[in-house]
Amino acid sequence: VSLPLLRKPRLQDRIVIFFVVLLAAVQLVSFVFIRYTVEKTSQNVLREEMRVGARVFRRLLDQNSQQLAEATSVLAYDYGFREAVATRDRETILSALRNHAARIRASGMAVAGLDGVVVADSLAPEAAGTRYVHPDLLARAAEGGRTSAIRVVNGRPYQIVVVPVLAPLPIAWVSMSFAIDDSTARDLQRLSSSDVTFVRLAGANVELLATTLPPSRREQLLAKVPEIVALGRDGMQVALGSEDFEALATPLDDLRSPTLFAILDRSVAESLGTYLALQAVLLLLASFSMAITLAGGMRIARRITRPLSELAGAAREVAKGNYDVRLRIESDDEIGDLSRAFEGMVKGLAERDGMRDALGKVASSEVVMQLLKGEIELGGEEREVSVMFTDIRNFTALCETLTPQQSLQLLNQFLTAISEVVESHGGVVDKYLGDGVMAIFGAPVTRPDDAQRALECALEIRRRVAALGPALAARGLPHPDIGIGVNTSGVIAGNIGSPTRLNYTVLGDGVNLASRLEGLTKRYLVPIVAGALTRERVAGIVWRELDKVRVRGRTVAERIYEPMGRVGEVSPQDLERLERWHAALEHFRERRWPRARTGFEALASERAYARLASLYLGYLRELVANPPGPDWDAAFTLYDK
Amino acid sequence: VNKALALAAVLSFAATSGGASTLEISAVDAKGAPVADAVIYAIPKGPPPALRKRDAAIEQRDKTFVPLVTVVQTGSPVQFPNRDPIRHHVYSFSKPKVFELKLYAGTPAAPVVFDKPGLVVLGCNIHDPMIAYVYVVDSPWFAKTGADGKARIAEVPAGEYDVYVQHFAQVAAQDPQPHRLRGDESLPAAFVVPLRQLAPRPGPQ
Repeated sequence: VSLPLLRKPRLQDRIVIFFVVLLAAVQLVSFVFIRYTVEKTSQNVLREEMRVGARVFRRLLDQNSQQLAEATSVLAYDYGFREAVATRDRETILSALRNHAARIRASGMAVAGLDGVVVADSLAPEAAGTRYVHPDLLARAAEGGRTSAIRVVNGRPYQIVVVPVLAPLPIAWVSMSFAIDDSTARDLQRLSSSDVTFVRLAGANVELLATTLPPSRREQLLAKVPEIVALGRDGMQVALGSEDFEALATPLDDLRSPTLFAILDRSVAESLGTYLALQAVLLLLASFSMAITLAGGMRIARRITRPLSELAGAAREVAKGNYDVRLRIESDDEIGDLSRAFEGMVKGLAERDGMRDALGKVASSEVVMQLLKGEIELGGEEREVSVMFTDIRNFTALCETLTPQQSLQLLNQFLTAISEVVESHGGVVDKYLGDGVMAIFGAPVTRPDDAQRALECALEIRRRVAALGPALAARGLPHPDIGIGVNTSGVIAGNIGSPTRLNYTVLGDGVNLASRLEGLTKRYLVPIVAGALTRERVAGIVWRELDKVRVRGRTVAERIYEPMGRVGEVSPQDLERLERWHAALEHFRERRWPRARTGFEALASERAYARLASLYLGYLRELVANPPGPDWDAAFTLYDK
Repeated sequence: VNKALALAAVLSFAATSGGASTLEISAVDAKGAPVADAVIYAIPKGPPPALRKRDAAIEQRDKTFVPLVTVVQTGSPVQFPNRDPIRHHVYSFSKPKVFELKLYAGTPAAPVVFDKPGLVVLGCNIHDPMIAYVYVVDSPWFAKTGADGKARIAEVPAGEYDVYVQHFAQVAAQDPQPHRLRGDESLPAAFVVPLRQLAPRPGPQ
């Protein structure tokens, strides 16, 4: 059992494979291209979103600080508070600070004098009287009226707002601190759609201040912070664990070399969610079109190859000689054309073959084949052939009670039998002559035993025709009587006729003689008459000499013979009679008339010799009455057919 | 950006028939532009002069103190007539005079007496943009420059004086100029004092 893959590739497979491979290649290329483009685009979009997110984030921080500054300002305008500050009542100021801080949920609040010395600090009361820790912020507030910044105090990040206490000119500074913690980060995360992490860089050390990241990812991000801070101010891609993230660092403090950063990060895979959906759709479309292509390709391929196989099968049938092929192809396309053309071709072939068959019937299939093979020269050539003529002598009698159709049927029955025997003996039926047949042995193909086969053919025809007798008798018809003339001689063989209608045949006196010999069977009442050269060429046959005949216009007389049977098959009595016959014939030719008459008369009572004896006794009477001249050669002259 | 301005005061002691001099003052900033609201006063060397009572008033008009700058001799009473249809809450946390006039309309019955020398900055508790400067000086001889940067202190008796110049936007306090007045002259004097850009005032737009 051979595997399907190992068999010879079929056209159908090739067509389908071609289309499928082509489609697969196109899809692969477009898939890769789309994947590349979408990935690139979505990465760009993601990066741009991150930048927007970072801007939103900074804006939020700004707004936040402004709101805090406004809120702080409002508090700083509180009359009682101003009064307390103006009076430098430390304890009152401290409690007022705590109260105000609680009002706006600030972590701490402090008051510093215009000289930068802390008056009171709600987070560190002991700091009173010392320098305020962020003198730069006081300077900035003095310049711009208020200021805000993110600073780390005691390891925790704070948004610090500094506003003046106006009465109505600044009399002191109020600083309000708001802790930046995980909850602040979460608020910002909701608005910027990214994870938010606050870090401080201290040399190579990265300090985590606040984050929205799950604990599992914190360490991974911290390890990448220096890189992100150095390269990712406008966004960059980093791998955290096995996942890719788009990360962006935005500085938070206003120092020349910032140490405080917010790191925003977002999962690339999550952002590519729509792309993954697109990919799924693409894959679905690809497999769908692949299936369609496969099915369609197979269908189309079958539409091409099925008719081809059918045509091939039909062609094989035609090769076998069966022209009765019908193609079930109805399409209007080229394949339909092909099959119609094929059918037309078969029809033409059938017609021509039929013609050749018909030709074979009149011109012999052997001749036709030789002609077709080009082995026969169309010009005439001289050769020795044996020509045989047959004739059903009593055919008219046979037909007497039959209709024309039945007559023709009977005739064909005879002719078919005779033709079969001729062909089986290597002879060629040259033509049909009414109820007779002319057959040639030795042309167009010459064999050494042409004469032998011609004679044996004649014997076989005699036998076959005799065998038809009982069937005919059953129909109430008489016994068929056949006459056969066989003669061997040199003839001209070739195509005779015009270029459009040629007939291969043989011509010559020998042919005419053969025809005459057939006619003589009636005279001598024998089934077969053969010429002298035929007798000479044939071995193993017992012959009876019938006569010596001279064809009119020719000087040489020809001896004619009847084949009695094969040597050994003829009975001794018949051989004895034949000897006596030949002796009597010898006496006749030597003009020993009395002895010849005695011999003939002795044989006249024999059934097989009755006709011959009576013929010769007739000759004798005439010869005795008119004695022949010295040139008498004992030949009988044939005047006509 | 702070812009340094200079105030020039030209004191002009002009001899008068009544035995008094006149100071002709001219104030310019560092660029030579005239400066308004510069306060100039002459403190005599010797016993402080007696209070020469002069009426003073700081109106509240269109949620603005008018005038912006007021100079009074120490011990002077100042009225705060409210010309607005709304009430004001005038206050001061300045050391020379801490006071407040809680929400009032019209003119409070009792004037505010500024009894210590120094700068008193006034505000209104409910109108943040409102501000006024009251210079309380130990002298009856004072003046305030107009829009042309000029001012005149008349009727100054002969004697030795320290002439001070002050402005609410000045960068730093200036040393006084010593002057001897004969009592009959008109004396010009120039001062160049740098000024600074004031921080923006808060309040509704």
